[in-house]
Amino acid sequence: MQSIFVVIPAYNEEESIVSVLRDIQAADYDYHIVVVDDCSIDETATRAEQAGVIVLRHVVNRGQGAALKTGTEYAIRQGADVVVHFDADGQFVANEITDVIAPLMSGEADIVFGSRFLAGKKQSDVPFVKRAIILPLARLFHRFFGVRLSDPQSGFRAFRADAFPKIAWQQDRMAHCSEIIFNALQNKLCVREVPITVIYREFGQRFSGGLKIIKDIFFHSFIK
Amino acid sequence: MYIQQAIALVIIVFFIIRLFKQRRDKNVNQQEFGFWLVFWVCAGLAIIALPYIDAWLSRLGFSSSGIEFLLYLAVAVLFYFIFRLRLHIARLEKDLTTIVRELALREKK
Repeated sequence: MQSIFVVIPAYNEEESIVSVLRDIQAADYDYHIVVVDDCSIDETATRAEQAGVIVLRHVVNRGQGAALKTGTEYAIRQGADVVVHFDADGQFVANEITDVIAPLMSGEADIVFGSRFLAGKKQSDVPFVKRAIILPLARLFHRFFGVRLSDPQSGFRAFRADAFPKIAWQQDRMAHCSEIIFNALQNKLCVREVPITVIYREFGQRFSGGLKIIKDIFFHSFIK
Repeated sequence: MYIQQAIALVIIVFFIIRLFKQRRDKNVNQQEFGFWLVFWVCAGLAIIALPYIDAWLSRLGFSSSGIEFLLYLAVAVLFYFIFRLRLHIARLEKDLTTIVRELALREKK
């Protein structure tokens, strides 16, 4: 039986964290769940601990990318075979973890990205501005760098532990999504996309967030 | 020498005196002191050499005056310094993340 770790970065998610953890714990597979509390000022960490999962704490808020990397490093040190990245705000469906990890388990892929836009039965109610403007612009930006994924900003992904050194990202904030894709393609990892459902409770990343991602990628390209 | 050049030189001398005072009080280290001293001396030389810069620019075919050239140069240098500062902040942020991560992982050992 493979050791699968689900890493969940969380920042002020006390209202959703318990239901997210319960959904994952109710799944058929015995996942190891790691919540990385990114210096929340609410009860996120306490509630996660009460739910019986591993909780790592950042003493200073460092962003989603940094929290994911902390959780992933912990998972690898604990002997994970597969690492899944999942959100704490309830926008992903826990049952779909099995769909995302399936290509890894069958050896078809090294890394799998969930996609809101792949044809299939799963339908995500993507807000119009996001669907019609922000995401096409994001796709265009990524295509400029040779990335042809349908959903370059998806936070639902899974990868084999041995792929981690090749995708190890440096971006602490939201630019980690793009960096992971760039690293995976640059290192010629076997990449797959699978359809997922995204439930929108909030708008999420805005256009200004996209510009910040470009700025972060630009500045980090000068840092070794 | 024009009156404007004289005023600019007085201001530069004032900053150089301030710089020596800051160094004497050990508010700036040797490296910073050296940088700012070179900076202000260069600024003073550029002010003194304004007529030559005017002539040089006109020989190159530009219609702007030397002081405008110095202004453009100053803006370009400022942009460069801001860029360097942003890089420095990005490096500090990266180091901070490394420390925060190490603390989080050590707590769970």
